[in-house]
Amino acid sequence: MITRTDLAERIKTGILGTEVTEEDVRSDIATARTYPFAAYAVDLSFLRLAKLLLQGTDILLTAAVSYPLGGMTLATKLDQIRLALEVQADEINVTLNLSAIKSGDYATVFSEIQAMIEAAEDALDVIVIPQFEILTSSEKLKTCETLLEAGARTIKTDGHGGCCQPEDVRLLRRVYGNAPLIEASGGIRTTAKALEMLDAGADFIHTSTAYSVLADLGDQ
Amino acid sequence: MMDMDYSALARRIDHTEFRTTATYCDIRRLCLEADHYGFRAVVIQPIHCSRAAQYLRGSDVAIVAVVGFPTGAFTIAGKGFEARDAIEQGATEIEFVVNVGALRGGHGDLVLEEMRALRQATGRHILRAIVETCALSDADKRTVCELGVEAGIDGLVTSTGYASGEATIEDVRLMKRIVGNAFAVKVFQRTCDLHGASERMDAGATLLGTESGVQMAETAALTVSDRQQEQP
Repeated sequence: MITRTDLAERIKTGILGTEVTEEDVRSDIATARTYPFAAYAVDLSFLRLAKLLLQGTDILLTAAVSYPLGGMTLATKLDQIRLALEVQADEINVTLNLSAIKSGDYATVFSEIQAMIEAAEDALDVIVIPQFEILTSSEKLKTCETLLEAGARTIKTDGHGGCCQPEDVRLLRRVYGNAPLIEASGGIRTTAKALEMLDAGADFIHTSTAYSVLADLGDQ
Repeated sequence: MMDMDYSALARRIDHTEFRTTATYCDIRRLCLEADHYGFRAVVIQPIHCSRAAQYLRGSDVAIVAVVGFPTGAFTIAGKGFEARDAIEQGATEIEFVVNVGALRGGHGDLVLEEMRALRQATGRHILRAIVETCALSDADKRTVCELGVEAGIDGLVTSTGYASGEATIEDVRLMKRIVGNAFAVKVFQRTCDLHGASERMDAGATLLGTESGVQMAETAALTVSDRQQEQP
């Protein structure tokens, strides 16, 4: 039986969105610090603050880039990556150019990912979000093929508003084997749902409601 | 409004496309529609600006890019960079989402600093701040309006359409009361009909951002042609 600690180590959490205040970030990180979470994500306006507040823990700092819609230009994404490097964040979550995907323009998707990975040097892990929920099966595969070719190593299934399906995780594992790291994200709010994603082959669970995900587990 | 000359209404409509799934074709259609129906502007995310500029070459339809969209939770320098980049790509006006978290947290000073930085970054281009009324208390709504006037921006927009709700008529009245004639209050109402547009304009809105521009235009055109047929 998986323990609370085991699961926490595979959870990436954070606090994101319009309404979040400095007070919210401070109190949420104060609690998060007491768990062995894998990573903690914030919007760029709180990146410096979160870096300070996470000091002394092993929790990685995740910067949300062009988040959540992916509608920012490559130049802006690169500018945001420069900030993440400057603050010494550990990884970025970047929503892909969904318009390019929906337009069948995979050359643009490829070159954007490549440019971002190059800009991140080896200092930042670039975690891309294809937003599976809005993609057809063939778009999912074509997008994943493109992003892996461009050098991405980690796929986060969905961003804000998405709802990850275990079938998506299984599909990625079946097609691409064990190589890519998979973060299941979107609508994971219970222990059962989290375990279902891990069973399907996800390496990490992304959830803003980490404590309710952990609620059904014992300490041992 | 029903009796109003339709072209006068069209000139106050900002034809908006915020769907993340919008394809290059959707953006082209948006631009052609705006030109055809005489809408004031198209409103799009920055990735679409250079294409829109191509499609609207020679047209007087404004190209509005949204910056820091939709959360507003970006740095001041980052929003400044994004605004300048959007203008370089072809945007003629900028609407940026204010740092709502700072406003809610009582850091009006940060919001003012951001507005001033964006004012500087956008130069002579029209600049409006999107305030996300549904996330604000009435006191915060008042504050952001006053700060906008102080910073010398050109207008406020009620909402992004991505938060939990849109602006009420009362929000529009409140904002109009504070900004007076200092600048424009623009309402964003994702879906809207002629009656709704009329209500919002009567409450003091100068501009209406919506995805329903074409439906409204066609409804207005039908109303006119029905009336002509009724005449003996």
